[in-house]
Amino acid sequence: MKTRRCTCLLVLRFFALAGLVLGFDGSGAAQPSETAVKASFLPRFARYVAWPAGVQPRGGAPFQLCVIGLDPFGRMLDDAASRERIDGHRVTVRRVGSVDRALGCHVAFVEGPAAQETSRMLLALRGQPALTVTDGRAGAARGMIHFTVVDGRVRFFIDEASAAERGLSISSRLLAIAAGVRPRRS
Amino acid sequence: MKFLADLPARWSNMPMAIVATVALLLLAGIGIILQSEAAYRELQTQETRVQSEILAASVVAALDFEDRASIQAAVDAMRVNRQIRVIGVYDRSGALMVGYGRDNARPPAQFVDPLSPAGAAIVSIAQVTYRGERIGTVYFVSDPEPLSRRLTRYLMISLLVVLSALVIVVLAFGQAALRRANRELKARADALIKANAELEIQVAERGKAEDQLRQSHKMQALGQLTGGIAHDFNNLLTVIQGSADMLRRPGLEESKRVRFADAVVQASARAAALTRQLLAFARRQPLQPEIIDVNELVRDMIDLLDRTLGERIKVETLLASDTCAVEADRAQLESAVLNVAVNARDAMPDGGSLTIRTERVHEGESGTMVALSISDSGAGMDEDTLARAFEPFFTTKATGRGTGLGLSQVYGFASQSGGDVRIESAAGSGTTVTLLLPCSQRTAPIREADEADGTVPHSQGRILVVEDNEEVGDFAESLLRELGHRVTRVRSAQAALEATRAEAFDAVFSDVVMPGMSGLELADQLGREAPDLPVILTTGYSDEIAKTGAGGRQVILKPYRLETLAAAIDQVLR
Repeated sequence: MKTRRCTCLLVLRFFALAGLVLGFDGSGAAQPSETAVKASFLPRFARYVAWPAGVQPRGGAPFQLCVIGLDPFGRMLDDAASRERIDGHRVTVRRVGSVDRALGCHVAFVEGPAAQETSRMLLALRGQPALTVTDGRAGAARGMIHFTVVDGRVRFFIDEASAAERGLSISSRLLAIAAGVRPRRS
Repeated sequence: MKFLADLPARWSNMPMAIVATVALLLLAGIGIILQSEAAYRELQTQETRVQSEILAASVVAALDFEDRASIQAAVDAMRVNRQIRVIGVYDRSGALMVGYGRDNARPPAQFVDPLSPAGAAIVSIAQVTYRGERIGTVYFVSDPEPLSRRLTRYLMISLLVVLSALVIVVLAFGQAALRRANRELKARADALIKANAELEIQVAERGKAEDQLRQSHKMQALGQLTGGIAHDFNNLLTVIQGSADMLRRPGLEESKRVRFADAVVQASARAAALTRQLLAFARRQPLQPEIIDVNELVRDMIDLLDRTLGERIKVETLLASDTCAVEADRAQLESAVLNVAVNARDAMPDGGSLTIRTERVHEGESGTMVALSISDSGAGMDEDTLARAFEPFFTTKATGRGTGLGLSQVYGFASQSGGDVRIESAAGSGTTVTLLLPCSQRTAPIREADEADGTVPHSQGRILVVEDNEEVGDFAESLLRELGHRVTRVRSAQAALEATRAEAFDAVFSDVVMPGMSGLELADQLGREAPDLPVILTTGYSDEIAKTGAGGRQVILKPYRLETLAAAIDQVLR
């Protein structure tokens, strides 16, 4: 009698657990598109980065998110940026055609028509304290943050070393969720 | 059952202070547990909040960048704590990112603030913020520790409280029992004191009643005694008075005159014997003790006894050869033997035998004694008669046949002589009266044969008579003159002393009881002033002589006969 009741309980528990797993595994059909995810991520990176003292926005000045080269996001990026507040600063999106006009950008999404173009632009941005972001789908050229897709989810690599070269400090919280980190030389 | 019945009484006996103490103790115990419970809950709430805040802090970036795997890892780390029932991590729009639920519990899919907590569970909500921006929410529900575990934790306190309460209750019961026992003891002591007091009163009352009874017995005996004396004396006085009246008649024949005079003498002699017996019973008889061989006395009395008892009674003697001499008044001893013998005769109206036995006995503290027992084969006495046998004037004989003083005399004489008297008797089996007299250290002198009296002529001398009673003095004086003496008479001892100093006398004849100086004192004084002057004392009854004796002096007892006085005077003058 007792053994049978225990078995019933075990079965019940198993179904309950199964339901739990099925119900709360967030991968539903209404998954936003990969581009939309990347667009929502872009303004948020600024939250986990510390710029050199002179570069950090002062007063009511916003963080500047620059899209250099191609713009795969369109309005999605504007919407995402408008939702973000970092220490009270808004995030504005600037779309610039060339690196020359990218002065004052805090975060720079760089994507050329080809991988070489992207690499050239990244090289040109080397003199600026901007957090460079690249997309894996656009080619092998990597900025400080490089989008990738792991198991159908948008993830990113972080090149902490090159960020440090530019005087940028990336929060360990962000490093912790990165798909991979190229650590800076201590 | 008894215990239960007694319980209300026991509780009522318990002091209020004890009840209050136990109540306080229990309240304190409950208070400690409640306080501890509250503190514990507070602690758990805080713990839950801290855990939710830690989770919130650790999922900041993961939530921002929708890294479910990282969030899941962080949440999984929290699952170690089994008390956490639900964890929900929500993004900034309130949609559930990662959830965890235990035992059918699940976090809501959409976060709304405030979420209603489930029962007694502890709910904590932590905002995930970073650099001024709210990134999401962490929702925590943790179960309080199970009641059983908490109770186990409080069991120690409860146990201590209960034990303390028990100790106090037991002490209280003990105290109450002790107090009750003390009360009962006191009540019993009081009852005992009361009973004792009552008993004392009863004893006192009984003593009083006994005294009254004794007094009434005494009065009864005294009445009997007085009546007996009055009766006997009235008879004798009738004879004396009648005879005296007859003697005063003129022209009385000589033969009648002698007869009436003889009647007076005989009646007087009987009266004298009566008073002597009374005094003997009262042990106030002035004894004239001498050393007597009891066997010899008995042998001497056999003739007398034969004559007194008559022919129908046979007298036997069984005399032991080892008897000792006794120191007693010869006349009294003879009288005692005669009294007992007469009683024996009266107990044997149809004849019988009288046995007189002597033997030497040892009577404990009294030492060696001579037992003189006189047994008859008569009717004997019943118990009542035996008990009253020594009472004066108690007699079973017909009126006029006995005085009721015989055994009284025997008793008085024996007691006064330092001995005792016992009667053994039963109705129909005869009576034995035993006289016990102490042995004397001295031996009986060999008696000389009686002098042939009457032929020796009386001596004549100068006699000083000391007597305060006028009639007795006149009588003595006339007697002595009749005997041919020259008599000087004084009325007090003081006058006698003056007379002896002024004049020479051959003898002093003095009364003992006189106002002022007594006859004994006079004799003593004369013994110092004139040692050669003989003193003869006379008395009817003297306390002084009865107690201390006459000091070896000759005493003539009143009433005395002419011959007695003449012999005594003669003896001292010779």
